[in-house]
Amino acid sequence: MALLEVENLQVHFRTPVGVNRAVDGVSFHVNEGETLAIVGESGCGKSVTSMSLLRLIPEPPGKIAGAIRFGGKDLLALSEKEMRAIRGNDISMIFQEPMTSLNPVLTVGRQIGETLRLHQGLDAKAAEDKAVEMLTLVGIPAPARRVREYPHQLSGGMRQRVMIAIALACNPKLLIADEPTTALDVTIQAQILDLMRDLKQRVGAAIVLITHDLGVVAEVAERVMVMYAGRKVEEAPVRELFANPRHPYTQGLLGAVPKLGSSLTQESSRLAEIPGQVPSLTRPIVGCVFAGRCAIATDICRAYAPALEPKGPRHAAACHYALKEAAAA
Amino acid sequence: MLGYILRRTLSTIPVMAMVGLFVFSLLYIAPGDPAAVIAGDQASPEDIARIRANLGLDRPFLVQFGEWGWRTLHADLGTSIFTGLPVTQMIGQRIEPTLSLMVLTLIFAIVVSVPMGVVAAWKAGTWIDRGIMTFAVLGFSVPVFVIGYVLAYVFALQLDWFPVQGYTPITQGLGPWLGNLVLPALSLGCVYIALIARITRASMLEVLAQDYVRTAKAKGLGQKDVLFLHALKNAAVPIVTVIGIGIALLIGGAVVTESVFAIPGLGRLTVDAILRRDYPVIQGVVLLFSFVYVLVNLVIDILYTFLDPRIRY
Amino acid sequence: MSLASDHRPAAPEGLAIAPALPDILKAIKPRTGVTGFLRRHPTIAVGGGLLLLLILVAGLAPYLGTVDPSALSPARRTRPPSALYWFGTDMLGRDIYSRVLYGTRVSLLVGFAVAILASIGGLAIGLVAGYVRWADSIIMRMMDSLMSIPPILLAVSLMAITRGSVGNVILAITIAEIPRVSRLVRGVVLSLREQPYVDGAVAAGTRTPMIILRHILPNTLAPMTVQATYICGSAMIVEAILSFIGAGVPPNVPSWGNIMAEGRALWQVKPFIVFFPAAFLSVTVLAVNLLGDGLRDMLDPRQAKGH
Repeated sequence: MALLEVENLQVHFRTPVGVNRAVDGVSFHVNEGETLAIVGESGCGKSVTSMSLLRLIPEPPGKIAGAIRFGGKDLLALSEKEMRAIRGNDISMIFQEPMTSLNPVLTVGRQIGETLRLHQGLDAKAAEDKAVEMLTLVGIPAPARRVREYPHQLSGGMRQRVMIAIALACNPKLLIADEPTTALDVTIQAQILDLMRDLKQRVGAAIVLITHDLGVVAEVAERVMVMYAGRKVEEAPVRELFANPRHPYTQGLLGAVPKLGSSLTQESSRLAEIPGQVPSLTRPIVGCVFAGRCAIATDICRAYAPALEPKGPRHAAACHYALKEAAAA
Repeated sequence: MLGYILRRTLSTIPVMAMVGLFVFSLLYIAPGDPAAVIAGDQASPEDIARIRANLGLDRPFLVQFGEWGWRTLHADLGTSIFTGLPVTQMIGQRIEPTLSLMVLTLIFAIVVSVPMGVVAAWKAGTWIDRGIMTFAVLGFSVPVFVIGYVLAYVFALQLDWFPVQGYTPITQGLGPWLGNLVLPALSLGCVYIALIARITRASMLEVLAQDYVRTAKAKGLGQKDVLFLHALKNAAVPIVTVIGIGIALLIGGAVVTESVFAIPGLGRLTVDAILRRDYPVIQGVVLLFSFVYVLVNLVIDILYTFLDPRIRY
Repeated sequence: MSLASDHRPAAPEGLAIAPALPDILKAIKPRTGVTGFLRRHPTIAVGGGLLLLLILVAGLAPYLGTVDPSALSPARRTRPPSALYWFGTDMLGRDIYSRVLYGTRVSLLVGFAVAILASIGGLAIGLVAGYVRWADSIIMRMMDSLMSIPPILLAVSLMAITRGSVGNVILAITIAEIPRVSRLVRGVVLSLREQPYVDGAVAAGTRTPMIILRHILPNTLAPMTVQATYICGSAMIVEAILSFIGAGVPPNVPSWGNIMAEGRALWQVKPFIVFFPAAFLSVTVLAVNLLGDGLRDMLDPRQAKGH
């Protein structure tokens, strides 16, 4: 059985200009110890998806519907108190902005120890000892001194290591990493990715990695899910996706990536530019969400939204024409 | 750190000197003969001459200011024109009720207003938030003496829970002392509570939108820890600043509250001095209150360094 | 089936169509026009409406069933409210209803005059401080010192050296309010000077008065309007306090503070004398402050609602 099963997830926000259907009908699963990457342009709903897994969406103005089953339990049916026992304990999260994601007025040790005291009932002394241990694990030099320091005394890379230490402190079964390297220098990015891969092997947690950087995906993910305008448009194992993208949007994204395994430091591993704009999510979309930017879209596409259909082994895409191609192939 | 405290302390000296100069020169900005203005319309020429001598108005301005400043530094605020008593002695006799009232109000207001502001920010947009903010705008708008009369009418005259007016020194028992101060402190506290609750809400709203609050929630912390531990400490600097600035409201309000509740404090002394145009007393009280105000804000500036580790001077 | 479906091309056989998803939230009805604006800014509607009403009351005071507010009637002292004397009579037999209505004029006059004068004075001082480098520290030291004296005490000590009149009350409160406005203006000027477009204008040789007119004034207008509204409300309270403690407008002027001061000695037995001016004062200040809150929310949406 999968560790995490998401079914027909909808996350909508009520705004003055209409209901923003930020995520609309997304389903996916993550197996134990597996790394799933969610990719897409900014505003495609990947961050909202990851936040809704921990129910961190403010309600109101937001609302989550569908099912999120973690180890068989539907997280959406839990009380807030039961949910809190899962956050930071069974499922933890790393955010994009290490500069602002740590509390500036609390020491690093306090912020790591907090989760341990909360979920594992450690006392202050034991929590600090464990915090030092965690800092050592994530490769921070002089950890005994660093635990007493404040975030502003650390560099960006160090802060992201601290965030990872906080996230891993309680040995979570699932780690959600939302653009963990985006805000960092390229050399630091590589170090953090190495650290994550290394820790994943040691800790054995499954990872949901949110990114728009296909280079990162190629390096760490096993399976990839592509999102566009709040929908899932394609899903495949990483090699299959890079070698054989079916959805025109995925093909566009991969357009500028020369080959699988291209170096992280190369600028070309960034997403390609696709002409046109993401449609407004506050108005209902008839037909395929990508039709407005798609080079091969027809009247059929503009009238009927394509369902997600299997296109190969463990490979699915939502495109009327990908189907034909596969049939022709 | 010590250097900062020292520099910040020294910087209050020119401010206080300027306040002194202003308070002192008030008499001279007034149109006409200040001695005649002070003496009032029915004064005899002898009265005016006596006042002129008392204030030293017959000598050059700078000499007078120098002498007055020197005396003030030695805690000599001159003598009252009306009673002939030293101003410091008159202040000394009246300070306890005012100090009691202000400290009690301060504590009560902070204890009530900060949680109010935090809850309003947490429940932003709901009817709880609207209720608290309605109370805050009312506290701003209904003048302190109106609140005082309403409270006195309901809780003292009608319900007879508290004495209508007066003051009992703390040496005669905590109960009577408190009983006399409850209604004045409630009326004086309203505007202060409104002020602090509003700034707490605004500051908390800003902090609650920060990434580290999301991190705290993602750790599984409860609402109370997120609000009061992670958010409030970050929101503290503007709140503490307003608590300091609000002392000015408290001082102004105390003058009126003491009139409503017949409390024999510095406020009453001020009002009496104004009605008698007893200028040395007015100068003394204004100087003292300004000094307290500057001092409180000095302490608050120093407090910042403890509230926010990023502030280093 | 909706109308749009009529224009759809026929779906080919076996086309995999995604199932329609339910709406989980209802949309907010957008509101436009004047009523929409007032619904979105209820505090402006309520505050502005009340204030308009009070301005009408002040202007039309002679036609609203009032008598001469200073007419003495020793035989009819301290009468409780009745059909003849709607708000009762005071210790000298004067009609409180008439005095309260005419008192609206004093309060509004003091409030508006102080708001306007303090804004002009504060704007001038703030512009000089923000523009003339050498004057900045001297001016701001002086303003800091003035701000170190609690405003009511400052106004009170200014009143102590002058004779009580409406003009002097306005002047005293204005002096006490100016430092705050000049601080605000100086802050805006200093932050604008860092803006690239102002830098560009300076580099292009635009003269200072032109820069002030084109860039500085439009940007100070919004925060100053909000601040002026709050100053108006606070000036009304300070005026009432000054009159209440006997350091305000002369006793013969029917101001709300004066009426309350006269009723003070009798408030335990004749609370109505204090009640009516107190209620009018509170409602007026509330109207002004609601308007100020509404303006602030409208002009600075960042700190308005939370979401």
